[in-house]
Formats: sequence, C-alpha cells, structure tokens
Amino acid sequence: MAGALTRRLAPYALAIGGVIAVTAAIGLITSLASVPGLSAIYLLVVLWLGARWGRGPAVAGSIAAFLLYDFFFVPPVGTFTVRGPAELLELIVLLAVALVTSQLAASLRRTRGGAEALARESRALYELATAALRSPEVTVALTMLSRRATELRSISRFSLVAVDSGQPSVLAGGEASLEELKQAAWCHENGRPVGIAVRDGELKLMRTHPEAQSTPAYLPLASGVAVVGIDPATAAPDDLRMLTALIGLADLLLDRRRAALETERARGFEASDRLKAAILSSLSHELKSPIASLRAGLTALAAPQAGLLPEQRQLLIDLDGQATRLDRMVGDMLALSRLEAGVQLDKEPHRFADLVGSAVRQLRAELAGHELAITVPDDLPPVEVDEMQVGRVLTNLLENAVEWAPSQGAIEVGAAARNGVVEAWIENDGPPIATGDLDRVFDTFWTRRVRGSGLGLAICKRVVEAHGGRISVENRRRGPRFTFTLPLAPITVAL
Amino acid sequence: MLVVDDEVEMQRALRAGLSYHDFDVRAVGSGEEAIREATSWRPDVILLDLGLPGMDGFATLKALRPATRAAVIVVSVMPGEKDKVRALDAGADDYVVKPFGTEELVARIRAVLRRQADVPAGEPVIRSGDLEVDLAHRTVTVNGRVVRLTPTEYELLRYLALHAGKPVTHTTLLRQVWGDYAVGDKYNTRYVVAQIRKKLGDDSANPRYIVNEPGVGYRLEG
Repeated sequence: MAGALTRRLAPYALAIGGVIAVTAAIGLITSLASVPGLSAIYLLVVLWLGARWGRGPAVAGSIAAFLLYDFFFVPPVGTFTVRGPAELLELIVLLAVALVTSQLAASLRRTRGGAEALARESRALYELATAALRSPEVTVALTMLSRRATELRSISRFSLVAVDSGQPSVLAGGEASLEELKQAAWCHENGRPVGIAVRDGELKLMRTHPEAQSTPAYLPLASGVAVVGIDPATAAPDDLRMLTALIGLADLLLDRRRAALETERARGFEASDRLKAAILSSLSHELKSPIASLRAGLTALAAPQAGLLPEQRQLLIDLDGQATRLDRMVGDMLALSRLEAGVQLDKEPHRFADLVGSAVRQLRAELAGHELAITVPDDLPPVEVDEMQVGRVLTNLLENAVEWAPSQGAIEVGAAARNGVVEAWIENDGPPIATGDLDRVFDTFWTRRVRGSGLGLAICKRVVEAHGGRISVENRRRGPRFTFTLPLAPITVAL
Repeated sequence: MLVVDDEVEMQRALRAGLSYHDFDVRAVGSGEEAIREATSWRPDVILLDLGLPGMDGFATLKALRPATRAAVIVVSVMPGEKDKVRALDAGADDYVVKPFGTEELVARIRAVLRRQADVPAGEPVIRSGDLEVDLAHRTVTVNGRVVRLTPTEYELLRYLALHAGKPVTHTTLLRQVWGDYAVGDKYNTRYVVAQIRKKLGDDSANPRYIVNEPGVGYRLEG
C-alpha cells in the first residue's frame, strides 16, 4: 500500500523537482546575462512531464513553474502578484501546453499499451489455438480453453456441453448440475442463448436482473453449448473479446468432434451394411439351393419320358408350381430386405423403351394371353436408373396387370416426359381397386390375392422412391392404373 | 454332358431329368474333377455351378476354357449380373439362374449345341426371323429390303450375328467393335443398338431381333 502510494506520488515529486531545477538554471542564466523569454524552458519540462508521466504531474509542474517564475523573476521579485494580461497569458499558455501534451502523450501511451496488449492477447490465443487444434483429444483441447477462460477476472466458469442425439454431457470445464444440463439441451435444441449472445461477431451480455447473475449464461454453438459463469460488473471489453475468441475456438473444436463422430458412425453403418449384405447373400444361397434341387427333381419326373401316369405328372407339375412360388417369395423377401438395407443403385442412362422391352420379353409367356399396347414416344429423353431394379418394378407391375386383367384383356404400358421426370404407367382393364385400399396397395404384405406374397408392389414403391420418384395407383375408367416417375439422365445423352 | 454341382440332390435330379431327354450325363462335385472329366471324357456341354467349394466356378471356367471345346453353361443361385458378365467374358456360352425347370434347361442346352454345330459350317448368311446378315457381301436385309448401316453399326450387328443366340456382354461388344483401346462405355453400345433397331424397323419396347440381356448386354435372336 505504501509502495503504491510512493509510486503514485513519485512523478509529482519529480515534476516539482524538475521545475525547481529549471528555475535554478534560469536564475543562473539571468544572473550572467539578460536573456528574454527564458520561461520557455519550463515548456520543455512540462512537455517531458506530460509525455512521460501524464496529465497530473504535467499540470502540477506547470503550476509550480508559473509560481516559481512569478516569484523569482517577475518584478516585483519575491512576490506572487500577477500584474497585467501578459503574465496571465503566460500562465495560461504554460497550463495549456501541460494539458495538451499530457493528453497527447497519454493517448499515445494508451494506444501503444493497447497495441502491446492486443499483440500479447493474439499471441496467447494463437498458441492456445494451435495447441488446441493439434491436440488429438478434443476434450483435452476444450479443457485448455476452459482453463484459459477462467483465468479472466470476470469469468468464473467456462463449461462445454455436447448434445448428442438429445443427450447432454459435459466435455470440459467441470461438472454441471442436472438442471444446467437440461437448460443446455434446451438451448441447443432451440438455438436460443440465455444471458449472453453473439451479435455481429461481438459478445453481448443480456443480463439485467441481478438474481439471474448467480446462474450461468448459455450460448448454443453449432455442435454444443457453452455454459459461462460471467460477472457483468467486472466484465471488461478485453475479457469479452477474449471470451469471444475462446468461444469461436470451442465452436470449431466441437464441430470437429461431431464430424469425427459422424465419420465413425458412418463407418459403423458401412460395416453393418456389409454384414447385412453378406448375411443376405448367404441366406439367399441357403434358401435357394434346396428349392433348386426340388424344382430340378420335380420337373425331371414330370417329363413324359419318365413314364409316370398323367395324374402323377399333374401332381408333380402342381408341386413345381408351389416350389416356384416359394422361390418367388424368397426372392421378393430378399429383394425387399436388400432395399431396406439401403442397396446401392447402379444408375446409368437408359432408354425407357429398352427397359420395357426387357420386361416384356421376360414375361413373354404370361403376357401371351393379353392384348399388350406399348406407347413410349420415340423421343422420350433417357432416364437415369438402375436397370435391374427398375426392370423389377416393370415386371412386378406387368405381372400384377396380367393377374387382374381378364383373359384376352388389355394391358397398356405408357410413358411421357413431364416436369423434368419421366412419368410411366401400366394400366389394365381389370376390376377397380376398392377406394379404401388405394393407399394400402404398396404396404408390405398387403395383397388382394389369396396367394400373393404382398411384396411385389412394396418392392416397386421402394425402388421408385430410392430413385427419388413417386408411385401411385388410381382407378381409371377402364381399370386400375399404376403411375410412377423416374429421373431424367442429367445431361442429354444421345440414346 | 457333364454336370458340375456340389449338391448330390441336384446331381441326381439333373442326371435323371437330362437322361430322359436322351443326354448321356455324368456328374461331378468339384472343379478339379470337372477338369479331369472334361479332358478325358470330352463332353459336348458342361453345366458348371459357380458356387463350388474349393476351386470355385470362375477358376474352373478359366482352367476349362483352353482344355476343352465343350460349350459351358454357367449355373448360379445368385442372379447377380456382375457374375453373369464375368462368366460370359471368361468364356461361358450361356448362363442359367437357379432354380430352373428341366424343360428350360434342356432348351438352353439344345440352343448352345445348335450354335456349336453351326460354327464349323461357317455359314455366310445368318438369319434371325426375317433379318438376314450376309457376311460375305456385308449386306443386311429385312424381309428382302436392304438396310444401310454405318460401319460401326454393321460391325456390332455382325458380331451379334456371329454369336446369334448367345448373350454378348457390353465389354465384349466394346472391345470387338471399337477395338482394344476403346474408351468405351455402355452408352456407345446402347446408342448404336438403338440406331440399328431403328433402321431395322424394330421396336425397342418389344424387339424382335436384338434383345436386351438386362445388366449384361445384348443377344441376337437365333
């Protein structure tokens, strides 16, 4: 305390001492020769005092200088009388110089001090940022930030809370109460800060209520929440600036953490996808191999050359029909689970007519008893689709049409370019679908048929939607029509 | 003919079924045995299952191809197009997806045998319905009407005609028509096939001559 006082008073002593020394010097010079305007030497002292020690000592110095000069050199010497405006002016000039120079010097010093402080701050921040960003452990880096923040006078606490799928957890900066975690999760979810906000890159305290100051402020970041205990009374602009920088860094780090988590999760999914694909593939093999032996055996015996009675042959043919059905169901189930596992589409530009051609060819036998009309315009732009998957949609819809159209009935396949997609439809002149069922036909396991698997249309829906298209059904005048959309090839490919 | 399948039930069923259609059938359960039989017994057709234990179907196919002139029909329980393409490019003559009926299999076997018989005759005119490709004169006619094709279109049609009835992969077509260094992709073949169909007066949505083999390539109807 005494030391501080001494330090505070020392410049004044120096000012008085300096002025006395100058007075002595002037006295010495005037005793030797008459030199006019020697009082200007005081200006030097006052200038020095102002520049070096600030306004107080400079003013003290200028007053002392005036008094001493008046006392020793202005006649009547030995008195403090001020005579005439010239002397008054002299005093005013001295005082003015003292004030102006000290003001200038002070602002200069402040600027320099500020620049130095800023440089120090930036360097500290830079070091912190490099250390934090280099740290392989995000929590370690966040703890560094938290520690740095609480070094600020007005910051009592700086916690970083991550909210992963709605579950808040403290990553750095000490424990948080359940209440605080709840509040943090709320802030994160709603993107609403509490007590503190960043506006135009600047941190603003929004606390006015004194009671609220005992609870921390919450600032939602891109991938987490900063929980800050801040005392508005002592929060200097420097502190806020530093805090802003630290929050920015924390934001970056939390973002990095989220990206890392997402990558990991994606890797996990990928692994489970691979596993699923492997299981499906082996399941497919396991289920289909026995059916293959069954069908080969049944059809072998059903051949006339096998020499069985007609009714025995018929039985074998019926059984083969059942085995075929079983095979279809296994195939549909595997296809559906592959689609649900998120199958990779092998999309390429195709002419829609080619796809129809393949499907029609595949179902040659089934379509034979029906009147098939295909209206696909020659200049239909190519679609960008997975050939096999869309082929499945077409065969499923065609089979459905064959099933429902009366024998010798009409089936129409059509397509047209509409609003940046190709809209395709398959219509038959069978009975309409009950209005209540129109929404349900694409549901898994829903079927109008006694023997249907209820998977064919569900597969169609999944395939079309995987291509970003839509599928729907309506009852037209003639009969039910299924309509679906397919994406156009991105560039005009000549096909 | 030789059946290569590791399942005894399948071997028995095929032996019975194919013998009713007057085929002389032997069955083995591994790739190694298949190669031995193919070289010593010399079957006309080999029915090769891709999912063999030990030496797998592809390895067997690669080993078989230089050892025998027999037609190879690949059989697989997985309808994966990549496997089909791989098998065809490795020299298989056709593929059948399990499960299949005996009739269907017999039809395929007869088709490859017919093709095999045609090749040595070196017939200069190949017919597919009312389409005729005259290899000696490089002319193409539909119903007697001459169709003018560009050299690329003709080459593609010629290659399909030479292998009429057999599925030809996109990669094979690209290599055969555009050459080994073709920076090819499937649009090329699709585009040229569309052009040929147009000139032949064929309908892509219901083609009569060149048919699609989805995910694989094309085939000229035999």
